[in-house]
Amino acid sequence: MSSLSEHGTHIHFRFASKRMAVLELNNLSKHYGSTQALRGLTLTVEEGSVYGLLGPNGSGKTTTLGMALGVLNASGGTIRWFGQPISSDSKRRVGAMLETPNFFPYLSARQNLRVVAAVKQADDQAIEDALEVVGLLARQHDAFSTYSLGMKQRLALASTLLSKPSVLVLDEPTNGLDPQGIAEVRTLIQRLAAEGKTIIIASHLLDEIEKICTHVAVLHRGELRAAGRVSDILATTDRVLLRPSATTTAATLQQALGQFPWVTDVQTESDGRLSAQLAEGYDPAALNKALFERGIVLAGLEMRQRSLETQFLALTQAQ
Amino acid sequence: MSGGTVINGRPVGNTLYAFPELWSRLGYVASYFNLLLGILLIILITDEFQFRTFRQQVIDGLSRAELVQAKLGVAVALVLYATVVVLTVGLYFGLTRGPQPAPGAITADLGAVALYALQALGYLSIAALLAFLVRKSGPAIISFLVYMWIAEPLLRSQLPDELDRYFPAKLLGSLTPTPGQELLNTVTGPTGALTPAQAVPFALGYIAIFWGLSYLLLRNRDL
Repeated sequence: MSSLSEHGTHIHFRFASKRMAVLELNNLSKHYGSTQALRGLTLTVEEGSVYGLLGPNGSGKTTTLGMALGVLNASGGTIRWFGQPISSDSKRRVGAMLETPNFFPYLSARQNLRVVAAVKQADDQAIEDALEVVGLLARQHDAFSTYSLGMKQRLALASTLLSKPSVLVLDEPTNGLDPQGIAEVRTLIQRLAAEGKTIIIASHLLDEIEKICTHVAVLHRGELRAAGRVSDILATTDRVLLRPSATTTAATLQQALGQFPWVTDVQTESDGRLSAQLAEGYDPAALNKALFERGIVLAGLEMRQRSLETQFLALTQAQ
Repeated sequence: MSGGTVINGRPVGNTLYAFPELWSRLGYVASYFNLLLGILLIILITDEFQFRTFRQQVIDGLSRAELVQAKLGVAVALVLYATVVVLTVGLYFGLTRGPQPAPGAITADLGAVALYALQALGYLSIAALLAFLVRKSGPAIISFLVYMWIAEPLLRSQLPDELDRYFPAKLLGSLTPTPGQELLNTVTGPTGALTPAQAVPFALGYIAIFWGLSYLLLRNRDL
């Protein structure tokens, strides 16, 4: 804490008093020539969270992680790991993979992990353990170049686990895996998260973020569109769909809905139905009852979980 | 035994393999193989870019300075290897083919081998800089050869001797002068090259500059 308080009174200190910030990005920018890949990204990853970076291809996820990991030079802004600037020491506390699995093709899996272990100052037993976790023990003596994409991806995951890091940074960790492999990797990530590790994942797969992350930041064209808990960003937008009975016009229904302060965002759907959002504590039954008391009969009433895709598209398309 | 080659009525073996002159001759011959060492180092460095293992090692905890230091270590190891080869070859042929060496003659001019080692390190420094600059093995090798064989000689031919003797390839070359240069000088006039002793501090300076530039390149670029 003392080291954090030395660095001024900015807002992260308040978070730090609750939970330590593992990674703080402050106003981070990157341009390649005239292309602006990332504009003024500020976000804080707290200890113990599973933080998803979500965005379509080319939205700046890998650029963000590349700068955070020290392989890309930031055009502007600051990066702090555990409250300090990036250092060899901070890197050894982080297990990370970026984009593709990067290994010497002519060396075997074990030899490649030995190279990583030398850098990470990990021992032989750690190599054994990591290979076992990802299920590559049987093929450990084969050259990396003979591996399938899924195996390469799993070896990359093994190398991130070598030094038993408290933080994992994974860039598209399920890329190239078959459905079973995807499920395995997700289970592994969830297990590591349950052990209290902080995990930062970049993905363009909503489903993946929703299933494993506690927090999410949505990036689009290098800009941060939203950041916060997954439940706040992606899931609180359930809507009710209402179809008026033949005796009621849509206009009447709309007018009635407008009188309830707990019904918001009334919209006409493409099929003529109305959709609206209910305030917390109100359910469709309450809405039905209230409408019936005003003499409005519904022919249909249903809850629709606003799909993640819809929400994601809304976030990335709003200008 | 000492071969059938005869020059000016004398079997060549007797003088060719005689200590201590053998070391400077061998150093000159070995200098031609520096290009191979350079190409090998270029491949070793550009592979790390191609496989993105530099990138991974930085992610895993090395600093960029440590990456350059590691490659300097590889360069030094290559130089040691080449030096051992030169010493082995020299001892083998000197002892089996040459005349009986006078006491102390074998070690008398080992400095020539040290000069060769410095030269080899100089070549490798140029190779490393080009590898860090170009990052792709083919183009880096080609630019290395083009610089050493074509670009620098062409440039030198346009400049006065006082200047061109300080160019890297020329300067490194003057560490292992052509055997019998004194004889040639009587025909063509003095070469204008520095003597090996004069060239040493400049060679050390170049080596430091090239590795320093390699580090700056690596530090200021994305991996």
